[in-house]
Amino acid sequence: MIRAERLAFRYPDGTPALDGVTLTIAAGEFVALIGQNGAGKTTLAKCLAGLLRPTHGRVVVGGIDTAAKGVMKALVRRIGYVFQNPDHQLFNTRVYDEISYGPKNLGVPERERDAVVREVAAVAGVRPELFSEHPFFLSKGLRQRVAIASTLAIRPQVIVVDEPTTGQDYRQSIDVMEFLTRLWRQQGHTIIIVTHEMPIVAAYAQRVIALCRGRVLADGPTREVFAQPDLLAQTFVKPPQVTRLARAWAGAGVRADALTVDELVDEVVRVAGGERAVAVPRAGRQEPPAGPGAQADA
Amino acid sequence: MRLAVEVERFSWRYPFAQRDALREVSLAIPAGEFTLVVGPNEAGKTTLMLAIKGIIPHSLAGRHDGTVRVFGEPVAQKNAAVLARQVGYVFGDPDAQFTALTVEEEILFGLENVGVPTSEIGARIRRASELTMISDLLDKPPYDISGGEKQRVAIASVLAMDPEILILDEPTSMIDPLGKDLIVDICGSLKRDRRMTVIVVEHNVEAFAPLADRVVLVRDGRIEREGAPRTFFDDVESLIDCGVYPPQVTQVFARLQRRGLYAGPLPLTDEEGVAAGTRLLQGAGRWR
Repeated sequence: MIRAERLAFRYPDGTPALDGVTLTIAAGEFVALIGQNGAGKTTLAKCLAGLLRPTHGRVVVGGIDTAAKGVMKALVRRIGYVFQNPDHQLFNTRVYDEISYGPKNLGVPERERDAVVREVAAVAGVRPELFSEHPFFLSKGLRQRVAIASTLAIRPQVIVVDEPTTGQDYRQSIDVMEFLTRLWRQQGHTIIIVTHEMPIVAAYAQRVIALCRGRVLADGPTREVFAQPDLLAQTFVKPPQVTRLARAWAGAGVRADALTVDELVDEVVRVAGGERAVAVPRAGRQEPPAGPGAQADA
Repeated sequence: MRLAVEVERFSWRYPFAQRDALREVSLAIPAGEFTLVVGPNEAGKTTLMLAIKGIIPHSLAGRHDGTVRVFGEPVAQKNAAVLARQVGYVFGDPDAQFTALTVEEEILFGLENVGVPTSEIGARIRRASELTMISDLLDKPPYDISGGEKQRVAIASVLAMDPEILILDEPTSMIDPLGKDLIVDICGSLKRDRRMTVIVVEHNVEAFAPLADRVVLVRDGRIEREGAPRTFFDDVESLIDCGVYPPQVTQVFARLQRRGLYAGPLPLTDEEGVAAGTRLLQGAGRWR
């Protein structure tokens, strides 16, 4: 679905942000981009979404080279980008106009447009009572839902969300992540998130791409990437606390790559209770109150 | 025991609001304590901090009942300049408080405002910038540095005023992991070396719980729970339900406690957790 080849990007002042990134993301993946600030996460995400034009190399999304001329209209239907700060994206004075802006621009007829707006608003948890509100008077969580709804309204296959949980409390973070998981699982969207919240990554992402100084430092299933703390330390990312405990207790027979609180508690109970170790990874359970997430399918 | 902050049945309603943002809140914070304030967004955490800083009721319109005292004196009757010196406040979004062209001027601005003698200014700036690890940023423009650096500059400008109470309102919510660690380090040295009264409002409980003498849960305009961190986090599910994510290590042992496998105090750090778990597994004769 997405292919980046020897991707490099320099900001106009010469600062290199990406330096030879090659990767493929298949349709239907749930990917987290992690790394220190300045590692290139957001730059990579913006290049993938065609918002930045690579200095070298290329990005192909669903067969379209993002740097080609006249492809924007086709590209926005393949990949949508939700900014970290919803206020960088929202500009209409009514929630309804904000959500219908994309389809309107793409020439979707009015009646069809209304159906799309209502549907994506429902999916994103934006109640119709809010349609005539000014987005700026909504809470940050709701503004972000409006931003996601307006991205969804264009029906992109791939949805990129930059820092979906920043500034939100844990309950709200779970709500956003559960929502993205539904889009991923039930509607088949490819989800790419940029985040610093490692417990969130552990609970939801199938695959982790760790960046360091514009290069890919690690790329693989979440469980495998978090099992390499020394590698991650290069980009100052600490894997979730649970993974550190699990490694320390591996000598007693606790599986060293436990990812979530639930998994680790089950492991300690199993080992302390004297059950025999199971070699096959069990389907991961989520922390309460998170519902089923990525690990079950990993 | 000298109390830094006493909040007594304090209620506050913003103009045009349908209900009180704070409802009969009572809280006592001894001088030198480190307090971590947690709770869902919009619960009233920031409003409570504004009441301690005196922005409520001095600069914000609204209706209040009850009293807030800082070092024994009611905030409502305190002189604004005295309060400005006594209570330092750092907001979550540092950009919101920058006005100067260089980092040094930014720090200087506050000092001149409260009338610190010129002879003392250089030393104050040096001390604050060393503590916050920004000495090499002093001649840079505040808009041209990273988010984590901005937050440290904001803390430096407040610390330079030598406040007796420091309030940090979501100091790490906008910055990256390395930047967060540095803020936590700064808080650690304020606690250890200066015994400053520090109040931190944060969602990142894992980073601050090990420093906290006391954790306060604000929910729905009230203080719903208050206690030492080792007992505060024992009901993991209900905390998660109100948007608070206890440190994972604490969650693990709270759950083991409930299943009858663990009886000791709840660990707050990796090291404590590793040690407690090792003892537990050794006790079960499982260490190979």
